[in-house]
Amino acid sequence: MITVNYFGNIAEAAQSDSETLEHNAMSLAELLELLDSKYDIGQFSFQVAVNRKIVSRQQALNLSDSDEIALLPPFAGG
Amino acid sequence: MERYQRQTILPGIGTSGQQKLLLSSVLVIGAGGLGCAVLPYLVSAGVGKIGIVDGDRVEESNLHRQILYHENSIGKLKVEAAKQVLQRMNSTTEIEIMPEFLTPENVDNLINSYELIIDATDNLEVRYTLDEVCSRLKKPMIYGSIFRFQGQVSVFNYNGGPSYSHLFPKDDKVILNCEEAGVLGTTVGIIGMLQANEALKIILGIGEVLSGKILIYNTLTNDQQIFQLADQSVELSSNTVIEKVDLIHPELAFEQKGILIDVREVGEKPEIPSGFCRKIPLSELESRLGELDKDGDITLFCQAGGRAIKAGKLMQKAGFSKVKAIQGGARDILKLIKDEIEPA
Repeated sequence: MITVNYFGNIAEAAQSDSETLEHNAMSLAELLELLDSKYDIGQFSFQVAVNRKIVSRQQALNLSDSDEIALLPPFAGG
Repeated sequence: MERYQRQTILPGIGTSGQQKLLLSSVLVIGAGGLGCAVLPYLVSAGVGKIGIVDGDRVEESNLHRQILYHENSIGKLKVEAAKQVLQRMNSTTEIEIMPEFLTPENVDNLINSYELIIDATDNLEVRYTLDEVCSRLKKPMIYGSIFRFQGQVSVFNYNGGPSYSHLFPKDDKVILNCEEAGVLGTTVGIIGMLQANEALKIILGIGEVLSGKILIYNTLTNDQQIFQLADQSVELSSNTVIEKVDLIHPELAFEQKGILIDVREVGEKPEIPSGFCRKIPLSELESRLGELDKDGDITLFCQAGGRAIKAGKLMQKAGFSKVKAIQGGARDILKLIKDEIEPA
């Protein structure tokens, strides 16, 4: 199981702060595609963190069981 | 000095720390919700020189969160109303007010004589302008921002550390500010306080500065998480073109005409009876596309959805026009089959 945490407007699009997904040798890019199909996350600006470290989403990265992914959009209120 | 005695007795501060505060200069960009939380704490702590930049006037809808203002402030320039209150808190602080908005034209002038910049703006355009100049002039920029019940804090351009635009490269996507998204006074209060705290730490040289990291605070759950930024050599794009494969619910896949394809590899559990679907493992799909009708309805599934989407993209590229992937996976399909065979 991997955990995906959502923040800001992406949490609203996903209607949840967090969910766990079953993963079978999924890559980061595949996860993002899956989430885009589910929540249309492509409409937002965001960065991706894997285990609390922000990574380039162009990076070829295979996710492991118990990985924690976070989608971090910029905020604008003040 | 009696006035600061409770903070000078703290380890790491002392009278020399108080002297550092007195000699320091901090510029606050934006005298809104965040600015109103940051300013009184810096002034009270004895920061020697404070600058405030904001061209706005106080409106009634500001009062619930911009706590430096009161009912009689409505219509007044924020910087003037703020200075009046702040100067009463500490008569020795030098407070410079700039009743204007920060622009690419005036930014250099505004920030030049300050050593520390606090980004308390609610405007992305201003933030990018400020970030660019802070990065060029090597001035730390203490960032805070809000989305509804969540806030972000980070320190950019600190001792050669990453900048805001490295974390969030500029793009054309819209992000809501407080006017549009709503905000509670306590949320800007907490985040502004964290910004003021970073400012004091930097001036005093104590603790660990939030540089190269971003803190996200959720005021509804009190959950706070710190994320480490990527190395500055890593180029982050916040725009990725994602080709889409439509997802459908498993129920709909059964009602739909056309064929259902299991793209899992041979032997993966749970097994779906072959009368219900065709089996073409993803690893063989490309070489077996000839078996399939390019104009027919095709629905793909795998274990969790990831490979079905991958297969869908591969088929779209090859000219298949009606490809969909199932939301979920083999377990959901099996459940539907069982329900069909043994209706509840």
